[in-house]
Amino acid sequence: MKKPNDNVSMEMPSGLSLSPSQDQAINRILNDLMEKCPAQFILLAELSGQLISYHGERGKTDLNALGALVAGDLAASQEIAHITNQYQHAQLIMREGPETTAFISEAGHQMVLYVRIHKEVPIGWARLVIREVSRTLAEVMSMPVEEVEKLNLDLSEEKLNALIDGNLDSIWHE
Amino acid sequence: MQINWQLRELNLKIVYYGPASSGKTTNLEQIHRRVDPAHRSELVSLKTYEDRTLFFDFLQLELGKISGLTPKIHLYTVPGQVRYEGMRKLVLRGADGVVFVADSAPARANANIVSWHDMKYHLISNNLSMDHTPIVLQCNKQDLFGALALVEIKYLLQIQDLLSFPAIAMNGEGVLDTLKAITRSVITKVQHQSASA
Repeated sequence: MKKPNDNVSMEMPSGLSLSPSQDQAINRILNDLMEKCPAQFILLAELSGQLISYHGERGKTDLNALGALVAGDLAASQEIAHITNQYQHAQLIMREGPETTAFISEAGHQMVLYVRIHKEVPIGWARLVIREVSRTLAEVMSMPVEEVEKLNLDLSEEKLNALIDGNLDSIWHE
Repeated sequence: MQINWQLRELNLKIVYYGPASSGKTTNLEQIHRRVDPAHRSELVSLKTYEDRTLFFDFLQLELGKISGLTPKIHLYTVPGQVRYEGMRKLVLRGADGVVFVADSAPARANANIVSWHDMKYHLISNNLSMDHTPIVLQCNKQDLFGALALVEIKYLLQIQDLLSFPAIAMNGEGVLDTLKAITRSVITKVQHQSASA
């Protein structure tokens, strides 16, 4: 099987495929956001809830659950906006609390960004920076790819099925 | 679906759909109970005060590597109650595969039909094709007196060709078989889709 390397981007017919260069660019952008805002914690997920990246102190937070909930939160807010005829692109949700404020922002058509800041960070500044970063993240995903390879699991259907069954059997307790 | 080549992860989303009280959450509870904790997340449930699903349940499984990629399976349920139609549409967003959990109680035959058509409608509204989205049917509550047989439920839903499994999710029967079948279908589809792209 031909393996992807750091300089090769992949293309899938649907869904989100992150090349190593896109992954690195995203991490750079989120690192900058951590410092510039400054933020306590940042999480980036795909719109269907799958975790892409996180920065900051996670503690005992279940990141996969958080990704699913953040995406669900944005989806619900978008739907509220749709049914009240208030939908606008690049939506930003803000939850202001006594100690921290959390933002949930659309990052293009494929991703959702969650940012938590301390109460001492000016909200207007944070909002401005988060909007800018959301736009930059969307641009990263629309970057032209230098070279395209197909995902090739390189397995017959029979072998693939046996592998999946074996995998699930091995983690299952009756 | 999301692939991260840096982390070598293949993330897939599978949604358990079906009428109210058909056993969607029970499926996830059984998976959570029976899967090695090192390979799963905690079960997240957004419930109403009456202990019914409000938005979704969520559980992530991590399988061993396949051709160098680690598949991470994200399992969701939809709220089955009629008034949560908007939520069901949102949960289906980006689904790579669907398990339709039918209630085998004869009195719930019509609820199954309504839910099946509701699912078709919401798949289409999420730009997901019925023909290209892997779907597995689970006929749950087969232990009920007078339970509808698989063939009867398939006839009612007009889906004779669909892969289907009998189940008694409450005690775990049929849960793993269903999970295996939908996981196989989804990963096989990913392989075919990418090979023909």
